[in-house]
Amino acid sequence: MKISLNWIKDYVALEASVEELSRALTLLGLEVEQIIRTGAPLLDQVFVGEVLVRDKHPNADKLSVCQVDLGSAGGVKTIVCGAQNYKVGDRVPVALAGAVLPGNFVIKQSKIRGQLSDGMMCSAKELGVAEDADGLLILAGRPALGTPINAVLPAGDVVFDLEITPNRPDCQSHLGIARELAAWFKLPLIYPQEKFRGKVEGTAHPELLHNVSVLSPEDCPLYTAHIIQGIKIGPSPAWLRERLTAVGLRPINNVVDVGNYVMLETGQPLHAFDARKLGGHQIVVRRAADGEKITTLDGKERTLSSRMLVIADAAQPVVIAGIMGGENSGVSADTTDLVLECAIFRRQTVRWTSKHLGLTSDSSYRYERGVDPHSALEAAYRAVDLILETAGGQVVGPVFQVGGDVPWKREIVVTHGYICDKLGFAIPAAEMRAALEALELTIAREEPAGARGPAWTVTIPSWRDDLDRPIDLVEEVLRLHGTDKIPTAVVNSPGLIGDDDPVVLFNRRVTDYLVGHDFHECVSYTLRSEKEISTWVSQTAAVELALANPFVDDQSHLRPTMIMGLLESLKLNQSRGVPVAQLGEVGRIFIERNGQNYECAAAGFVLAEPMGERRWLQREPADFYAAKKHVAALAAAAGIDLVRQPLVPVTGSFLGWQEGHSAAAGEMTQGWTARFGLLNLAMVRSLGLEGKIYAGIFAILPEKLTGEATRRRYADFSLMPAALRDFALVVDTAVQSDEVRKTLAKIARAAIGNAFALESVEVFDVYQGKGLPEGKKSLAFSLVFRSAERTLTDDEVNAVGQKIQDEIAKSTPWQIRK
Amino acid sequence: MQATLTALVAKAQTDLAALKTRPEFEAAKARLVGPNGELTALMKQMGTVPKDQRPAMGKLINETKTALQALLDAALGTIEAAELQAQLGPAVDATLPSPDAGPGTYHPLTLVREEMCRILRKVGFTVADGPEVETEYYCFDALNTPADHPARDTQDSFFFPPTARFGNVSKHSPDEKYLLRTHTSSVQIRTMLKGEPPIRIVSPGRTYRRDTTDATHSANFHQLECLYVDKNVTVRDLKALLDYIFGSLLGKATKTRFRPHYFSYTEPSFEVDLGATHLPKVKKEWIEIGGCGMVDSSVFAGVGYDPEVWSGYAFGMGLERLAMLLYGIDDIRYFYQNDLRFLKQFA
Repeated sequence: MKISLNWIKDYVALEASVEELSRALTLLGLEVEQIIRTGAPLLDQVFVGEVLVRDKHPNADKLSVCQVDLGSAGGVKTIVCGAQNYKVGDRVPVALAGAVLPGNFVIKQSKIRGQLSDGMMCSAKELGVAEDADGLLILAGRPALGTPINAVLPAGDVVFDLEITPNRPDCQSHLGIARELAAWFKLPLIYPQEKFRGKVEGTAHPELLHNVSVLSPEDCPLYTAHIIQGIKIGPSPAWLRERLTAVGLRPINNVVDVGNYVMLETGQPLHAFDARKLGGHQIVVRRAADGEKITTLDGKERTLSSRMLVIADAAQPVVIAGIMGGENSGVSADTTDLVLECAIFRRQTVRWTSKHLGLTSDSSYRYERGVDPHSALEAAYRAVDLILETAGGQVVGPVFQVGGDVPWKREIVVTHGYICDKLGFAIPAAEMRAALEALELTIAREEPAGARGPAWTVTIPSWRDDLDRPIDLVEEVLRLHGTDKIPTAVVNSPGLIGDDDPVVLFNRRVTDYLVGHDFHECVSYTLRSEKEISTWVSQTAAVELALANPFVDDQSHLRPTMIMGLLESLKLNQSRGVPVAQLGEVGRIFIERNGQNYECAAAGFVLAEPMGERRWLQREPADFYAAKKHVAALAAAAGIDLVRQPLVPVTGSFLGWQEGHSAAAGEMTQGWTARFGLLNLAMVRSLGLEGKIYAGIFAILPEKLTGEATRRRYADFSLMPAALRDFALVVDTAVQSDEVRKTLAKIARAAIGNAFALESVEVFDVYQGKGLPEGKKSLAFSLVFRSAERTLTDDEVNAVGQKIQDEIAKSTPWQIRK
Repeated sequence: MQATLTALVAKAQTDLAALKTRPEFEAAKARLVGPNGELTALMKQMGTVPKDQRPAMGKLINETKTALQALLDAALGTIEAAELQAQLGPAVDATLPSPDAGPGTYHPLTLVREEMCRILRKVGFTVADGPEVETEYYCFDALNTPADHPARDTQDSFFFPPTARFGNVSKHSPDEKYLLRTHTSSVQIRTMLKGEPPIRIVSPGRTYRRDTTDATHSANFHQLECLYVDKNVTVRDLKALLDYIFGSLLGKATKTRFRPHYFSYTEPSFEVDLGATHLPKVKKEWIEIGGCGMVDSSVFAGVGYDPEVWSGYAFGMGLERLAMLLYGIDDIRYFYQNDLRFLKQFA
């Protein structure tokens, strides 16, 4: 909302500086987004002059030496000028010695390239009336020579562009803002003088308007129409044009301008019809028919629907209610008789219509936010006054009014003690009372309410529909007291039992792990493209994870993994020549299973070969087992021991992963899932990335996380020496080591019985090649035996070893490798 | 014999000094003091020494033995030192860079978030969490947001089709729509519904607005909100918290200022300005940093807390905005590009 300071001063005698006003508006909750100074500042020693002679400067190609007549302000002067856009006979602003132009530019008599100059002919920019300086300001209308320039230029003004919060529709007007400022500066608010006030002589004028009917009263709780006959359309007076121009509106003609002026003054939108264009001399407020058409003032044809409200004549819609008038019924140069509409339309109806037509206006903006129905007639009277003043004519017939018969009355009872309690500090009762009354929240009654001050019954004016409860008055008191004056205090923090959410603890643990293992933590966008998901994850995910209303095409779906974002960051760094190997991210991902989406807490990483980076000492590149270690650590942060979980080798159904070089564990039915290994080489290359990229991701349902793990109990351990035996088994290459390890452990335990313990079985060598048949590999395991009480003898361990060998030979397809 | 002994020591001195390896040493040791060694052989000759000379001879032999042992120890020491030296290889050039990657780095948003959480933890706020996919109830209705509020419009927020099903995001009523949360205030509602007052939580997290990405806007961004619910909570308490937070974060020279504002879920509501001209790149006297207010009684009523008994405040801010202010970053998109030259600056 743009507010003109000159305009505001009509209602409140402000003397504060622009800075003080800006601070006041800010602290009142009317955020100042911009301060625009318009028009000319007061300029001394700048007059209208006429160029009589323009000669080339003898010493400079681009300069001219002019003789300029300033008439009564000093006669003919010599001025050296560099501009090119003027000719002899033009009238221009001339600054003489002693003038101070904006930017503290002092004009003196001076010599320019050897030629004396008595002053300067000025551009609009030099005078501070425009942003651009395309040569001199050529004055239109040949103003009298020697006229002080301020008498010719538009007067200076300061325009505040304010952000008005949606709870304050009353501040969508100059009067509303003036009321706030008057309260802040403790000045009286002066309402405009009204003359007409609805008193009309005579009867209705049937030739101009027969009838007003409202067929959809829920959309239009109040409709009024005044008839003004015998007006003359013409340009508005200067003061009116200036006001509108200052706040960014283009003056059109006296009637339209008055409508806009009163809207900006009071917040009430108005609309004027040419009475003779209303077919059947009727106004019907009704829902549009589906498919009904209207061509609006902006020249566009609009197709309406039955949820939209229109003002129609006997035949067709003439206005989209509250939004914009039609081409066919507006005032034009030959209009002589007016119907002035002043109405209230339901906010939701206007909003819906405006949104669906993609059509907004100053009027619709105000209706959407709420217009006070109880001030509507005042605005209509004001508009009538101004139309009569600027366009002549007379009001004929009584005012048509439909609806508007629900009276306004609201009172809030609040005590001084309540307000102090809510604020946490005391404001004197007298100050509170004065604050409320300054905002026209009149105190209907004051009663004693114990030791903590009086109770007030506060009458709420109709334009403050936002004030409904005692707490709302706390805010009003605080606003006028000054929110910058809230006293400081210490934080009140009695202890609470509780810990951070388990998800937070998990996120922190995995982030610490990744960063501690040399990963760079990344943050990437949640929204990804459909193509990426169908290529890298699954077709069903690309369906289920879709947004209904994406903003851009490549951000249309929730991410089912963070690896794609990490690959993108990898690529960005590579393309910028920044070597990067290890990236990780922690955050939410969205996993689709069987048509259900699950929001998961997750951590993921990529391990790449740092392209383009040469090192003086080579290290082994990352491999599958590095990815496995990291994923196991991420799972451990969620309390899941990945080593004890069955691992599924990745097959073709896991898009994005390289078959035979990656694995998966867990399922959403268990509440978690992990994938890790080598990313599909061909797909990685299709992204423009080179080399082997290992990756891993662990995701878990937030509700599966339990926070701190249950406290572990200490388990006793043996101090006796261990006995070791190694077994190498020849197995088919397809056999997985863990299967062999588990079987071997089972056989060993059976062989030992209760004699002592099998402490561990670990694979320590994998061999394939020379000395072994084709299709076979050797897995070597180390078995550790230990007793809790004694040192084991060679004999007893050898006996167990023999039993194990026998059992392997008997019950497994594997051979002991000697 | 005395001459022989002296010669033995002299020869040993020369021989032992020339030894390079442990086998050579063992052989030399055996040759000198072993059972068949030269000294042993001389000692065996003691019987032939006249009785009166024996004490002097014995002493001489002992001295020789000691001298030889000292020579042997010295030789062994030299060999051991050479062995250790051999393990070392050439001296390192300490100025060569480590060929290993690292160190890892925390993202600046994580650093700022964790710092805020630590500051708030000190005054008893624990960190709460909630889903990013939300329903209209938790995101809007429970926060007193009217049905026709612009944020509820498909113009401004990301919605899911009515067919979308989220197995682990609970709905309040069966026919509400899922959307991406527009603020982390939904976590406040879920926390209040799950627990009992008093409550003191901070909820950082990712939020979404249907907005054009530019230097200051991003389709997803991060917020951090605080909720305090107790008895007799006042506007002054809220101001005290903000003074504490920003004093801790930016130093005692920092000022905070409230400006009256409007949010549907607080009354009164304020925007919070920071006066932090001591920070680099900060030129304006006041910078808008967040919004806050006293929890509206309708929000309490909605979660079943008696507004006559319980009162509270809420505060929310954008984490990117705070990080930009703290570090002097001027483009929000840098947070999401993950250029290493950016990420490495904040470790």
